Amino acid sequence: MVATTTGAAAEHRRPGPRGGTERRGRVRRFLDRYWYAYALVLPVVVVVGGLVILPLAQGVFFTFTNINEGNIANPVLGREADYDVVGLANYLNVLSGDPAYGSFWGVLLRTLVWSGICVAFHYGIGLGLALLLNRPMRFRTLYRILLILPWAVPAFVSAFAWRYLFNADYGLINWLLGSVGLPTPVWLGQSPVAMVAVIIVNVWLGVPFMMVALLGGLQSIPGDLYEAAEIDGATPWQRFTQITLPGLRPVSSTVILLGVIWTFNMFPVIYLITGQNPHTRILITYAFERFFSGATRDYAIASTYGVLILSVLLVFAGVYLRALRSQEAD
Amino acid sequence: MDVTSLQTSGRAGPSGGRRPAPPRSGHRGRRSPAASFGLHAALVVASLIAVFPVFWVLVTSFKPDSRAIEASPSLINESSLDNYARILAGEKGDFLAWFGNSLLIAGLTTVLAVMLAASTGYAVSRFNFPGGRGLLFFFLVVQMFPFAVLIVPLYNLLLSLGLQGSAGGLVLVYCTTAVPFCTYMLKGYFDGIPREIDEAGRMDGLSPFGVFWRLMLPLARPGLAVTGFYAFITAWGEVAFASAFLSAADQSKTLAVGLQVFVQQNRTEWGHLAAASILVAIPAAVVFYLVQRFLVSGLAAGSVKG
Amino acid sequence: MAGVSYVKASRVYPGNPPVRAVDQLDLEVNDGEFLVLVGPSGSGKSTALRMLAGLEDVDEGAIHIGGNDVTHTPPKGRDIAMVFQSYALYPHMTVGENMGFALKLRRVPKETIKAKVAEAAKMLDLTPYLDRKPKALSGGQRQRVAMGRAIVREPAVFLMDEPLSNLDAKLRVETRANIAALQARLGTTTIYVTHDQVEAQTMGHRVAVLKDGLLQQCDTPRNLYERPANSFVAGFIGSPAMNLKTVALTSEGAVLDGLTVPLPRSVVAGHDAKTITFGVRPESLRLTGGDEVGMKLTVDLVEELGADAYVYGSVDIGGTAERFIVRTDGRTPPSIGSTVNVTLRDDNEVHLFHPESGARLETTKAPTA
Repeated sequence: MVATTTGAAAEHRRPGPRGGTERRGRVRRFLDRYWYAYALVLPVVVVVGGLVILPLAQGVFFTFTNINEGNIANPVLGREADYDVVGLANYLNVLSGDPAYGSFWGVLLRTLVWSGICVAFHYGIGLGLALLLNRPMRFRTLYRILLILPWAVPAFVSAFAWRYLFNADYGLINWLLGSVGLPTPVWLGQSPVAMVAVIIVNVWLGVPFMMVALLGGLQSIPGDLYEAAEIDGATPWQRFTQITLPGLRPVSSTVILLGVIWTFNMFPVIYLITGQNPHTRILITYAFERFFSGATRDYAIASTYGVLILSVLLVFAGVYLRALRSQEAD
Repeated sequence: MDVTSLQTSGRAGPSGGRRPAPPRSGHRGRRSPAASFGLHAALVVASLIAVFPVFWVLVTSFKPDSRAIEASPSLINESSLDNYARILAGEKGDFLAWFGNSLLIAGLTTVLAVMLAASTGYAVSRFNFPGGRGLLFFFLVVQMFPFAVLIVPLYNLLLSLGLQGSAGGLVLVYCTTAVPFCTYMLKGYFDGIPREIDEAGRMDGLSPFGVFWRLMLPLARPGLAVTGFYAFITAWGEVAFASAFLSAADQSKTLAVGLQVFVQQNRTEWGHLAAASILVAIPAAVVFYLVQRFLVSGLAAGSVKG
Repeated sequence: MAGVSYVKASRVYPGNPPVRAVDQLDLEVNDGEFLVLVGPSGSGKSTALRMLAGLEDVDEGAIHIGGNDVTHTPPKGRDIAMVFQSYALYPHMTVGENMGFALKLRRVPKETIKAKVAEAAKMLDLTPYLDRKPKALSGGQRQRVAMGRAIVREPAVFLMDEPLSNLDAKLRVETRANIAALQARLGTTTIYVTHDQVEAQTMGHRVAVLKDGLLQQCDTPRNLYERPANSFVAGFIGSPAMNLKTVALTSEGAVLDGLTVPLPRSVVAGHDAKTITFGVRPESLRLTGGDEVGMKLTVDLVEELGADAYVYGSVDIGGTAERFIVRTDGRTPPSIGSTVNVTLRDDNEVHLFHPESGARLETTKAPTA
């Protein structure tokens, strides 16, 4: 999963001395050797590339314009586009942190906190459950099925289920809290409590994936390592820190990276549970708000947010992969 | 076994006693009753938390809308199958058409995404071709993609391809979101199949495509199952793209889109919404049940390698 | 059926510097011959085999099978079958399907496939297992299925890549004989790769020794043993290994502790260095009484094999302790720690090599080939 662009692939690209006939020979040899691979990859490149690169290019172009619902070309109405290029104005507006443009820095901070907390819980709980499930016992398969279940439930169904549970008036959670004498907050209202609620839901949603991935990782650690450690006198805790965690490293580094990326862009959970609530606003939901709400539908600002999200994640992935590699080199 | 006897005899030796000391813990020793209780208690609690929200939706789905919002909840309150009957009868919209659309779209997405991901995963796993690693990195980047805000450009693109409003366009968009992760998973799975199998196939007279079709795909079935599950789930419950890219006509909606009618009115019809949710969840649950035994091994192979 | 020839065939892995895994290999394998490629790991023996199979590119030179240039032919066009070290049986097919797969791909009629599979299974004692999956078989049975898969094809050439190394010692010896017998019966040209020189010497009509991608020598087992072309082959072939020491050279001969071995005039005269690499096999040495001229060997270890015993010890040559191995009678081995007197059985049973190049220096008396 941790992809690098260096290495073997680069070797082949090294240009060599080439005359006319030799080049033709090279091209033929190259095709002889690789045409199968390119044929297998071609459909994906066409589909994914087409549906990603073209919209991205257009999206990036939008960020330099003032495009919105009012001035975009509308083939249905037979209207020509009449938006203008505005240069970097969108970026300047957004990055200024102006509340009219979504208080970018505050929302970025909230997004980072949201991603960090969610992934930490995903990983921690997922690892704990994976360790429990990785022992021989009765009902193991049943537990596993039940624990993975949240993953299989469509997102809007889980959102609905939790919205119902969190309902301040007739939700089961407040009924439970109330019956043991605890305060019964308005979970999904206009307050920071709403953030706690969506984090709970997202943790519930994300744990199964981590658990399954880590369970697989645990099962790939050879058992004789544990036996060797036991003979060497390692305590259970030492076995965990010296064998289990290092053995899980390849899985962990992958799923944490993916987890952060996915959580960062986790749009349906927040949007379906709290709607347009400034207290649960993260970058992607704000972009979507700009996109769909109001008469104007500000595509330009929404796209600007999109490009900024992608940039933040690229920087994160770059730093993460570099840190990972230097750690491996040690 | 050997290890235990070595340890215990070592410990018992100096004291001269013949009875070995009871093993403290570990994989071979039996768990003490307390540890066993704790283990099961923890898993039971976790399982309850995992299942309960869905269970509660199930309970609610049998209640009339007015009973679903009582302040002191109960398991059964004028429960009946009325909600289901009304939804299935099409009172709230053409439920069966929605169901069919969803099944078609999710099914097509699953098949297409698995085929695309498998061929790419195989190529990246087996052929060290220029651009292979770049492709993997590109897939990582695609996962970072804020698709939600690219709806307009995607819309424009599908429009110019003539796919706007059709199931085909939506399937392609879903594939784009599902294929990158699926490719990683299957690449990992293929990496775990010994290369000698490919080579034996080549010697027996298969072309690289033949190896892929006749050897790799049958051998990667667990991985394919997991990938298919992932693609299916991606497409099955999705709302935003489906509402943007499908025509507004009632009979062309998917389930997830159609069911929004229960929310968009002033007062949420909890009972009906719950019943509809259960109906949506059932196919997903069936798919999940079919592949669940492959999930651990399939996903592990994908993420361990990478 | 066909002969095989490598014509200056090389496999070069790109890198800095490029690695020449197989370097300008020239090798002629006759029709019906059993040729063994042997060498330490990294010698290029497997790469050479895989080049012939079409699984590795041939970067320079050419490869011919049955007179046809197959240098750039894909594997399926080469009419060859291969037995892999891991057997590479298809896990999702039964034994019968595994064996018949290649024929099925060639659209051979079902009845024909069935008959050929049945015949091969009978030959290999696999008949009761034809409907089982490979997972349900023992290691030895799987190995036989892999053989069967190759036999059913009736190819021009069999390729075998360490097919015995996953078997236990006893089964390996047994299977070794079976493969050799089978090859003799079928008369199919066979190229066999192994790192085990005993396997090579017992199975091959001829044995090709490789090191670092270079062919060292290709000859009959007897000639390899008796006239190794260089010090590497001398040390590699034979178990325990030949005693190879680089020693001082005087006009009298090679100086070994108290023992000076007279060398043929032709060698000494044509050799201008002050030292020479001197080789003597353990069975060419003998223990002797103290009154004879010999080397003083301090015994470190005695390996008793019943009829014979191998005495491992060290001799002080020019101030450094050099290890020597001596074969002796199994009934009266020396005790560990004792010092014994060792001498040559026959002054002609020595092998001489150039101390730098390692090339064989020819003694006058060439054994009859």
